[in-house]
Amino acid sequence: MRSKIIASIATVAVAGLALAGCSSSGADSGASSDKPVTLTFWSWAPGSQKIVAEWNKTHPNIHVKYTDAGGGNDSSAKLLTASRAGNAPDLAAVEYTTLPSMIVADVPLDITEYVKDVTDNFTSGTWDQTTFDGHVYGIPQDVGPMAFPYRSDKLQALNIPVPKTWEDFDKAGVAIHTAEPGTSLASLPADQFGFYAGVATQAGGEWWSVKNGKWTVGIADDASLKVADFFEKMSKDGAITTDPLLTPEWNKQVNEGTMLSWPSALWAPGVIQGVAPSTAGKWTMAPLPQWKAGDAAVAYQGGSAVIVTKGSKHPKEAAEFDKWMNASDTGAKLLLNVANAYPATIFGQKEAKSSKPPALMPQQTDYYDVAAKISADTIPVTWGPDFNFAQSTFTDALNKAIANGTPWRDAFIATQNAVVKDMKKAGYKVTNK
Amino acid sequence: MSSLTARSSSTRQAGTPQATRRRHPRVRSAPYLFLAPALVLFVVFMLIPIVYAIWLSFQAYHLEGGGILGHRVQVFSGFENYVSVFSNPELAAGFGRLGIYGLIAVPLTLGLALLFALLLDVPAVRAARFSRIAIFIPYAVPGVVAALLWGFMYLPGTSPFSYITEALGFGTIGFLDNPGLFGSLANIAIWGGVGFNMIIIYTSLRGIPSEIYEAARLDGANEVQIALRIKVPLAVPALVLTAIFSLIGTLQLYGEPTTLKPMTNAISQSWVPLMMIYRDAFLTDNLPTAAALSVVLALGTVIVSAIVLRIANRRNSGGMS
Repeated sequence: MRSKIIASIATVAVAGLALAGCSSSGADSGASSDKPVTLTFWSWAPGSQKIVAEWNKTHPNIHVKYTDAGGGNDSSAKLLTASRAGNAPDLAAVEYTTLPSMIVADVPLDITEYVKDVTDNFTSGTWDQTTFDGHVYGIPQDVGPMAFPYRSDKLQALNIPVPKTWEDFDKAGVAIHTAEPGTSLASLPADQFGFYAGVATQAGGEWWSVKNGKWTVGIADDASLKVADFFEKMSKDGAITTDPLLTPEWNKQVNEGTMLSWPSALWAPGVIQGVAPSTAGKWTMAPLPQWKAGDAAVAYQGGSAVIVTKGSKHPKEAAEFDKWMNASDTGAKLLLNVANAYPATIFGQKEAKSSKPPALMPQQTDYYDVAAKISADTIPVTWGPDFNFAQSTFTDALNKAIANGTPWRDAFIATQNAVVKDMKKAGYKVTNK
Repeated sequence: MSSLTARSSSTRQAGTPQATRRRHPRVRSAPYLFLAPALVLFVVFMLIPIVYAIWLSFQAYHLEGGGILGHRVQVFSGFENYVSVFSNPELAAGFGRLGIYGLIAVPLTLGLALLFALLLDVPAVRAARFSRIAIFIPYAVPGVVAALLWGFMYLPGTSPFSYITEALGFGTIGFLDNPGLFGSLANIAIWGGVGFNMIIIYTSLRGIPSEIYEAARLDGANEVQIALRIKVPLAVPALVLTAIFSLIGTLQLYGEPTTLKPMTNAISQSWVPLMMIYRDAFLTDNLPTAAALSVVLALGTVIVSAIVLRIANRRNSGGMS
């Protein structure tokens, strides 16, 4: 048996060698400036391939090779590993949330010098997402101001007004749960770290902040604990459910009209359209509910920037492509129309106003006016260098609290303590809030 | 070159080829030459990564440099990672969950595999080949595919079982909630593993000389008695082998819970040790603790396998040769 195992290991190993041989032949070199250069670019945004093709058509000297690296956690893990192994792509999309941990791991290049001329193309709130201590580490591509897409047909049929405050949201949830027991207003599970961070920020919380080189962690600050109590009560009253999103189960509920909203961000229509195309025309985008009636500010949830990696042999050319794709008017138009993203540039957001609403809500002709109003008042968020650690700790702790019926605030406090301990261990100066 | 000429000359002189072959230096190195490819691959793809992982487990990332964020650099940290691995209550909890899962999955997999093997080995069995293939086929389904497939059958909204119980007025079945989750996960492993284990046991049963059965029948034993008193004891080596495979498979549980994780809140990021290793290595970017945990898990696996082998050997040496 042992010989068989060794034989199979050998087979796998040989296959691995063969594969390694293949991939290494793809790498190119040649730093001379007059020869056309080839850049590699990782992203996951739909339509990126087409935008890259557009660039290649007009820029014969800088050829960009696009790879769909998969989204979310997977792609940041892949980028970190590739970077350590010394074969990172020249350019990569990185979510705002994981950008600090990338900087700490020495992945992105400080591109302050290259991008000085495009700073004014963004609002300062947007630009802050990629600027740390005066150094710029990426160009914002799209932003996700938090918003509230909901099933306007169902809410109308049930005679429930669109919630303007979280108080209204709670009442609406209870009313729906009472009227149709199998139907929920929304599911807000524990893995929606970004959502909870966003609404806590909206309530005045600050999960990470940094001043004079010293970090403050506020995952369990007063505002956040109030948020925890509020959503816990809603969950216990049946106003919301906490089942995972985008599972076959959730998709089915969205399709059959028993999941009536998704408090998230402006990127949501594309995602919902993907899982429930038959519900198009029944959705409407509204501003996210507020903690105080009359307020308008929302936090960001999601969104990404494109970085130039430290390992890139052609940082100047890479920055040039980055600027064209994400900071230029041409790029903004492509992002809007080809990638269906909500562009980060001021021009792109203006341009959006005159374009057609997303396929999910063709009837909402004022969609981009609503979107512009939402993104006009955003609260800048600082993410910590151990975002992934915090997210994974938070999700596990909150899931445990939900399963055992213990207070949600304990999960927030546990996350706070774990994050502070983790950051201290890593060598940061940290204080509790 | 010189050895070749030496060989031809010696052959001519002595005339007895057998004697010269034994003396030949080139022939003596032949085993090593044949071993070389395997050894090289073993060193490059097993030994070096293992040594690297052990080295990595004594490292840590610490912050260095100014600015807000600074940079993480790798430094030697002694046993710090091992201390944090052993002081993490989640690890013990993970092994506990693994234990519950193993208690369900291993005995059922082996029991069913033995039962099917014995049934297929009965002389009067019909459609043996078809049944054998039918039981074996799930093993050919990749683990992730199997987990996804079962995931759909578990989710209340898409589960045919929950559909039936709901139609009968009993509500949905909590396949993916505690404590049903353990059975659901074990079920995937049992479904996929029975066929493989059955083939091993069945093969060993086919190797038993038929004279023994004839003797038993002459003594008046029926098929059940033959199965329990003759076949099972003679198949013990195969059972030990399958038991060790199943145990190692249990300790390496990863694919099924990871695939089902997005479907349920009951599976945490650190549900089993391997998921914890994945989290540390690829989500929270802490390769050193992942390496330390890997070393602990590997040593644990070796110890468990050794204990099982020792128990099996002791029992074996009593009854049989």
